[in-house]
Amino acid sequence: MTTGPSASPALQLEGVDSYYGDLQILRQAAFHINEGEVVALFGPNGHGKSTLLKAISGIHPPRAGSIRFMGTEISKAPSDKIVEMGLAYIPEARNLFNEMTVVENLRLGAYNRRARGKMDRNLKLVFELFPRLAERRDQTASTLSGGESRMLAVGRGLMSDARLLLIDEPSIGLSPLMKKTVFGAVRRIKKETDISILIVEQEVDYPLALADRIYLLKKGQVIMERSVGEISKAEIEKAYF
Amino acid sequence: MISGSLYACMALGLTIVYGVTHIFNFGHGIVAVSGGYFTWWFLSTTGLGLIPSIALALVCMFVIGLVLYKFTLSPMLKTPNWEFSVIIFLLGLGILWENLLLQAFGPRVKDIPKFFDGRFKIGFVRINHHEIALIVIVILFVIGLNLLLKKTWFGQAMRAVAQDMDGARIVGINLNKTFGYSFALATAVTGFSGVLLATKYYMTPHIGWDWMVKGFVIIVFGGLGSATGAVYAAFILGLAEAIVTLYLGSLWVWPIWFVMFLLILLIRPQGLLGGRTL
Repeated sequence: MTTGPSASPALQLEGVDSYYGDLQILRQAAFHINEGEVVALFGPNGHGKSTLLKAISGIHPPRAGSIRFMGTEISKAPSDKIVEMGLAYIPEARNLFNEMTVVENLRLGAYNRRARGKMDRNLKLVFELFPRLAERRDQTASTLSGGESRMLAVGRGLMSDARLLLIDEPSIGLSPLMKKTVFGAVRRIKKETDISILIVEQEVDYPLALADRIYLLKKGQVIMERSVGEISKAEIEKAYF
Repeated sequence: MISGSLYACMALGLTIVYGVTHIFNFGHGIVAVSGGYFTWWFLSTTGLGLIPSIALALVCMFVIGLVLYKFTLSPMLKTPNWEFSVIIFLLGLGILWENLLLQAFGPRVKDIPKFFDGRFKIGFVRINHHEIALIVIVILFVIGLNLLLKKTWFGQAMRAVAQDMDGARIVGINLNKTFGYSFALATAVTGFSGVLLATKYYMTPHIGWDWMVKGFVIIVFGGLGSATGAVYAAFILGLAEAIVTLYLGSLWVWPIWFVMFLLILLIRPQGLLGGRTL
């Protein structure tokens, strides 16, 4: 652990259970992210990765357990309050506003009260990270390519002036070149800001090169925690297949 | 042109509610009538002028919409199969409210005075100043509504919710609040259309059903949930109504409307601009 004795983690989960109807997806999930840390959480498809992020962001609240963000319990908080506290969820499905322009989508990212005042500054940052979005600023979101809309989803998350980004499978369905761009941007966010990041992925390469620590999620439980360097790609893949 | 613009105004109220909340308001007609009755009532009892009466009526409509949403619709939306229960509820409430109006004000025809008296002539055609005023008002109104949707946080939130509900929650929009204010706004917009309709035609507590059926045809014609589509459809059908009335008589308006309606459903089942949102 890199943090001092007084620092509480940016995010801490304990005993989180989540269900869809009667189907239990998360079983006593527990892990934490320290401030400024990049954490990668790997796991096979259908083992609860996205459910975990939806539980944290309040989109699909958990049935039991504790989720603390910057020391505040948020497991029962509504999603708009959680965003306002500085937690941004970037879904795999993107959930962009398809009939709005790129810049309208980004501005809506700054909907929460805390972010509105910093909108212009954050917009500049996003356009700097993704020059492609600046070129396409007045195009409707539905006309973007897969990679571009992924950039827009990440950009919209950044616009919320987040202190913690939850990114769901940023690489899925992207060409190698686009993957490089998207993870390049994540790397710059890590270097140039003090935003903490949780990347949830199936694919191991890029996140492993980027993260400070990794977790493995299997059958709704966090089964392994390692610092990067303690584990290789082969070991991760062996653990979950 | 004139009736088209009035229908546009009414259809917009219906579109806002449907686009944002996916509630199909079967009490829509009576909402429009209420706007007219409130205005008439303020006008005849308080001694206020026409414009303050309208303004006051719209404020009342907005508040009623908000209260109605908060205490009845909001809890209903949390139950499974809310679509059907909400439709029946709004339909029932509409009938109840209609009969309350009937009790309070009687069945006799009411109207709201014209904004301007007088008329002018272009060739054979006589045009009332009032009708010009109506068109200008509706155009300004549509522009204003458009600005509200595009340029304010509230409007952008409404569009966001209409386009992707989960996306809206992700950026921190409170769905319930946005639903409530959209419903209230739509109630006021619809009430306003009732006021305009009552200055051009007349009103009784029952006329709402007529207006509502027209509103439904228009928004389905234009594409459910699309505001631009509703405005186009209102003008097309309004124009058709005028031409049919002139050459065939007003009896033929409904049959021709429905022929056009069926044609568009055959050719473009999603409506003119269907699939788009606010």
